[in-house]
Amino acid sequence: MPTTNPHRSRRRRRDALVFLAFAGPNLLLIAAFIYYPLLSNLFYSTLNWRMGSTRATNAGFDNYVRLFTSPAGAEMWRVTITFTVVTVLASMVLGLLVALALNHRVPGVTAGRTAIFAPYVLSGVGVGMVWNFIFDPQLGVLGHVLRTLGARSPEWYLDGDLALVMVMIVYVWKNLGFCAVVFLAGLQSIPKDLMEAARIDRAGALRRFFRVTLPLLSPTVFFLTVTTILSSMQAFDILKIMTPSGNGTNTIVFELYLQGFGPYQNAGYAAAISVVLFVVLFAITAFQMRYVEKRVHYA
Amino acid sequence: MSRTPQRAARATTAMAALGIAAVTLTACGPAVGSTGADAAAETDWSAVEPAESISFWTNHPGGSQAIEQELVDSFTEETGIEVEIVTAGANYEEVSQRFQTAQTSGDVGDLVVMSDATWFTNHVNGSLLPVDDVFAAAGGDSSTYNTTLFDDYLYEDAHYAVPYARSTTIYYYNADHYAEAGIAEAPTTWEEVAENSQALIDAGVTETAFSFPPAEDYPAWMMNNIVWGYGGGWSDEWDASAVTSDETVAAVQFAQDAVQDGWANVSSGSPADDFAAGATSQFIGSTGSLGGVTETAGFEVGVAMLPGGPVEQELVVPTGGAGIAISSASTPEEQLAAAMLADHLTSAEHTVTFSSQTGYVPVRSDADASALYAENPNFRVAVEQLETRTRTQDYLRVFLPGGDLALATALQRILTTDADVAESLASLQTELEGLYENDLRPQLEG
Repeated sequence: MPTTNPHRSRRRRRDALVFLAFAGPNLLLIAAFIYYPLLSNLFYSTLNWRMGSTRATNAGFDNYVRLFTSPAGAEMWRVTITFTVVTVLASMVLGLLVALALNHRVPGVTAGRTAIFAPYVLSGVGVGMVWNFIFDPQLGVLGHVLRTLGARSPEWYLDGDLALVMVMIVYVWKNLGFCAVVFLAGLQSIPKDLMEAARIDRAGALRRFFRVTLPLLSPTVFFLTVTTILSSMQAFDILKIMTPSGNGTNTIVFELYLQGFGPYQNAGYAAAISVVLFVVLFAITAFQMRYVEKRVHYA
Repeated sequence: MSRTPQRAARATTAMAALGIAAVTLTACGPAVGSTGADAAAETDWSAVEPAESISFWTNHPGGSQAIEQELVDSFTEETGIEVEIVTAGANYEEVSQRFQTAQTSGDVGDLVVMSDATWFTNHVNGSLLPVDDVFAAAGGDSSTYNTTLFDDYLYEDAHYAVPYARSTTIYYYNADHYAEAGIAEAPTTWEEVAENSQALIDAGVTETAFSFPPAEDYPAWMMNNIVWGYGGGWSDEWDASAVTSDETVAAVQFAQDAVQDGWANVSSGSPADDFAAGATSQFIGSTGSLGGVTETAGFEVGVAMLPGGPVEQELVVPTGGAGIAISSASTPEEQLAAAMLADHLTSAEHTVTFSSQTGYVPVRSDADASALYAENPNFRVAVEQLETRTRTQDYLRVFLPGGDLALATALQRILTTDADVAESLASLQTELEGLYENDLRPQLEG
């Protein structure tokens, strides 16, 4: 029979109490506001339930089957993937180009950096409303300019594909500054002696960019890839303001809103969408952490 | 301790945790296995005294914040009942969303603004009190409400709201454009709408003679008029086959032809804004826009009753707007006080006051609207149309969650492309039937 040291036992108990005293309140809050809603949502996703109703019927996996087999579900995935791929690529490529342009000590560069970052800190609702004034074919600025040039404005709001292009333009405009500033920080952290060495070896500008700059920016690229994918897949405010009923712009989060709180009021189906969104985001992040991070070069 | 008892202990702990989680989740969520609403408990209203204070949830329709406060103050002065006015959303949908989510906590408004398209879902959820008995107990006389407006809240022999901020659609035209093109009178049929529109374009006074609303601006509401005029509809109660009837197809085909022939377009934003800016010469819009359009437009605004169609000329006007409903979660005392407030807000005198400040139509048949006519002569058309030409809306547009959006999306697609009308409406019928079967019928029949 093993013997126990009473001093050691008391110390363990005391450590456990100290741990509980410090971590307990936080754990309790996390359990109440993260894990409890998560589990509740999982339960709701198996119901045929309308928000506000005190009654529901068991739907089993019907909500999930509907999400993956209905035409509306297929359209939601098409829009989500298109929106995410285009906005992530555009934000990162344009952000890198802007960062390269701003990575020079020239007069006005600080003002340029501020201007490019400013849209990122603006409210998405305000941004959407302002761009509505720009895109309106009859009364908007863009339509006026096009008419002055003898052209007609595209019907941004009536054609679902054009509506998607429109919200992607606005989304990229708003989030470009974030990518640019992070890339700029990455560029400025690249050791200058490496660039000097490449110059001495007579490497041209393109060669220096692809062989030195880009590999050393890989931690930044990795960080931005993770954050912009997560952000794009959860985009909502601009889409809701510019296309309230989701005509051609119903990404997964927007569809979740339309189903749960919007005109459909199908809370069970909305819960199933949010469970799938959670799993997809978890899988994408886990994949990136597990496989993509191995290709990152830390200077 | 051996491994087997350790495993057993862990398994027991896991089972206990799962059990607690299951009990907790089901305790806080909806009751599973039932869909029907409980039979409302019979209340002996003669034994109920009104509460001393209640709450009124509203979105202040038509910019009515000041007039609502004024009417509520006069109610408190008369009865001694305190009323807390709560801005529960920016529009009808937001009020309904807040009312629905608040059901979990039970902290809901006693009297709540409910639009024609939101009250039914709340009724199905069991959140609204039938108003007939409590309204009578509060001393109200529901027989003087405009019948069409009151019956918009009728389902299975009970009313679930009384009309409050109500509107109809009305025909707006640019009177200056009409004079310039030599058009003497507003159209009374859709055939005349086409003729007038072509004349406006031929005279060179406008590029767009008529505007249909986009999906965001309730096109199915506006197009009730043309569809009813052709003898069709969006549904016959819950039967969606009306949407593919020959009459409905002909009506929607007429609208698509109007756009393709060039005398009409689909507005990108709001037809009312385009009209007030002079960008289009005619549109069909809410009477609630009458004040705003008249004030904004830099030309003489003409209004007329909605045009008839080749089959139906009279009953072609849909109603709209909102009523006020009483929460079933409130106590009988609060419900009685809420009914008294509802009667006060919609009395013959106060409904005219409310209309003069907002543009909504008076909801009582015994209301004296002469002051309104003196202030804005165009209002007479709206009121006369209300009394003679309105009818209640089709179930699948106003009662089916997602029904109006499905109709709006399909109509926009048809009007802005060369999509085959019959095929598109057949697809729409399938979508409406799917929504009804999956999302509503189980609850209606549960």
